[in-house]
Amino acid sequence: METPQIEMGGFKVNSPQVPNGGLRPTVSSSWNSRGTVERALKSIRIVVFTSKLNLLMPFGPASIILHFTTRRHGLVFLFSMLGITPLAERLGYATEQLAIYTGPTVGGLLNATFGNATEMIIAIYALKNGMIRVVQQSLLGSILSNMLLVLGCAFFAGGIVHRNKDQVFSKATAVVNSGLLLMAVMGLMFPAVLHFTHSEVRQGASEVALSRFSSCIMLVAYASYLYFQISGRSNIYSPIGNEEAPNEDTVEEDEEAEIGMWEAVTWLAVLTLWVSFLSEYLVNAIEGASDSLNLPVAFISVILLPIVGNAAEHASAIMFAMKDKLDITLGVAIGSSTQISMFVIPFCVVIGWMMGQKMDLNFQLFETATLFITVLVVAFMLQDGTANYLKGLMLILCYLIVAASFFVHVDPQSSEYDFHS
Amino acid sequence: MMVAEKPALGFQQAHAEGEDELELASPAGSPAPPPRKMHSLDFEHIGSLAAVAESLAPGSRWRRALTSVRVVIFQAKINVLLPFGPLAIMLHYLSGTHQGWVFLFSLIGITPLAERLGYATEQLACYTGPTVGGLLNATFGNATEMIISIYALKNGMIRVVQQSLLGSILSNMLLVLGCAFFAGGLVHSNRDQVFNKASAVVNSGLLLMAVLGLMFPAVLHFTHSEAQYGKSEVTLSRFSSCIMLVAYASYLFFQLKSHRSMYSPIGDEEEATEEEEDENEITQWEAICWLFILTIWISILSGYLVDAIQGASESLNLPVAFISVILLPIVGNAAEHASAIMFAMKNKLDITLGVAIGSSTQISMFVIPFCVVIGWMMGQEMDLNFQLFETATLFITVLVVAFMLQEGTSNYFKGLMLILCYLIVAASFFVHVDPDASKYIVYCFVRCMRANWIKIDGLVEMQELNHLD
Repeated sequence: METPQIEMGGFKVNSPQVPNGGLRPTVSSSWNSRGTVERALKSIRIVVFTSKLNLLMPFGPASIILHFTTRRHGLVFLFSMLGITPLAERLGYATEQLAIYTGPTVGGLLNATFGNATEMIIAIYALKNGMIRVVQQSLLGSILSNMLLVLGCAFFAGGIVHRNKDQVFSKATAVVNSGLLLMAVMGLMFPAVLHFTHSEVRQGASEVALSRFSSCIMLVAYASYLYFQISGRSNIYSPIGNEEAPNEDTVEEDEEAEIGMWEAVTWLAVLTLWVSFLSEYLVNAIEGASDSLNLPVAFISVILLPIVGNAAEHASAIMFAMKDKLDITLGVAIGSSTQISMFVIPFCVVIGWMMGQKMDLNFQLFETATLFITVLVVAFMLQDGTANYLKGLMLILCYLIVAASFFVHVDPQSSEYDFHS
Repeated sequence: MMVAEKPALGFQQAHAEGEDELELASPAGSPAPPPRKMHSLDFEHIGSLAAVAESLAPGSRWRRALTSVRVVIFQAKINVLLPFGPLAIMLHYLSGTHQGWVFLFSLIGITPLAERLGYATEQLACYTGPTVGGLLNATFGNATEMIISIYALKNGMIRVVQQSLLGSILSNMLLVLGCAFFAGGLVHSNRDQVFNKASAVVNSGLLLMAVLGLMFPAVLHFTHSEAQYGKSEVTLSRFSSCIMLVAYASYLFFQLKSHRSMYSPIGDEEEATEEEEDENEITQWEAICWLFILTIWISILSGYLVDAIQGASESLNLPVAFISVILLPIVGNAAEHASAIMFAMKNKLDITLGVAIGSSTQISMFVIPFCVVIGWMMGQEMDLNFQLFETATLFITVLVVAFMLQEGTSNYFKGLMLILCYLIVAASFFVHVDPDASKYIVYCFVRCMRANWIKIDGLVEMQELNHLD
């Protein structure tokens, strides 16, 4: 969960003492044990009970129970998906809260790394189980969902609310992100085309070696992008003029640190553990769910899984678009896509390298072509810096076409059918 | 439509009306020459109403019909080509073997009909008001291509449909636009011409979405990764076609209702256009009748055209792909071609873009999905899998054109580049054989071999005869 104001470098100096006047004294008084318990209960109340999405939390334990009692993988899958959704949202919230305390730089870094913690955790679990195609497809699906569905819904909702004019956003950021996405597509295309044209030097080993090298390069690129944004150059990426004044209001809204710094860290740890726990059941249930729900595994990985990780971002992007704060929406949607494509994917390759799993960047031709055409369509839509409901509708319809194609798509690797061009 | 205006409209008032109405001219985004002013000058309308009232008497009805025929048929110079139509039909029945001539003649015969159809649609649009006029142009703008496609579809010639529609898109985007930019750039060679970026960008976005819709079935088929071989692409194509039709409908809604002001042409075009386009030369009912007659006539000729394709390919010694992609669209586009060039030379690039790119958008987002749906209803398995070569061609072409249009200026160099790109595309299709047509190739090969064997047999016989001497 990202607050892109932080990413854009145009963010506030943080001090948690502003509206919550009593925060500091409370922290020091919590050092005695009774105060700690009080504090913990208050924290739980704030984090767990004030968010409506947390109604879905019981689905998590329910899915674990189902896993051990029945063999109905379809239900286990669905329940764990529903159970992870509120946890992902709370994880984003905790990250945000922690970012308020840690200052702009570290806050930006935090958002940039933990923004897609859920996808990372699910991917690492799948990688551990050797389900490399699931990793590739779920990360790809997350990129597609962010770029088409989340952005499309946001543009559409914002366009309907502000029907009489085109909404504007900062072109510069969108263009830089599009450039990074295109670079990611390039990084993914070479192993795939190499494999597909049967022109690798050593079959099987070359793509993996190339992928590992490309991943390191992509991580370097992402690190420089972060440095570029967070350090001084980022003043060109400030949101469009008339949003800077209201930024002061937004600054005041977001400055309320509702929980203490150490509580935020604790919650981060707790939520991460809980998400990991549920992810394991989720990943284990994928194959069974595919059989029982009668859907291709590709469809489940590309379309259904990312809905989980993206649900909270989805809601917040739409909300900000309706409030005419398109820069934040773009930061959420496109920033997340950039992060997954330039950070999470290469990171997973490197993790796989360390684990000894042969994860590579060869996403197979169909998926790579899908990503390529999607990045082109989105880059084209964003290049003029305006948004209206027609653009949003077109993006949503493109997502429906993509989803339909994956519905009838069977992974050639999984059918063990070696095809020649 | 305001009927109660006084006939003595001063120039000023007409001018004031004109600016308000010209905003409506371009959003219709018509492929055919743009809808004329929607609120036509009222005294002319009243005049023609009076004429209609007069014409209800039988004698004057004949006079009216003759006037109409004179206006529609004899005033357009392109109608010199009209006799080629009946000639084609005669040839078809007289000589079954000269399919090449039948094809060429029907091709030439349809051209003036297509142009008159566009003219009749335009005239009708003058009467029906901006919205319906825009819709009319948006649906009937490519009536010729639609009719030819539906005939081919009925005959099961699915590849011909796909290739002719693709060729129409390519021809509009590269050839028509290129010639227009080139001609306009030469005439106005001292500066770059400008056009409204917003509309071009929206159209490019739609074209990219169409490419996306076409790419998935093709890549699915090509990577052999469909769930049910043969059936998946068709199902996906049908679903995508419905989605593309929804997108096109919302695009029309967007253009005609909510964002009209975005699409007003560049400043100095507003005053000039209104004075030229006032003439309603035929009445509303005549326009409808002519639409009807021309459609039927085109349908008849299309039938012969489509039947002659295979034979023409053999006798003219050209690949069927080349005929479908390059030659056929020249027919449907000839009139648009001429009008686009004319408007570019008059420095009205927005209208040119509306004609060329609007037509491409209409074919890719409306006619192609519509043909898939029609095929669905007919039971033909038409799908959006245009095979990899054609899809790749469309993809790179859309990219090139979108890139050229994105800055909102044009000059003769851009036009020349687009024309040269078209020549490259045409040349590629000249040497392109459809992989589906492999059976046809085998057939030709066998025929060839047999002919050679007969020759060889003849030689052997001769040698034997020689030996006998």
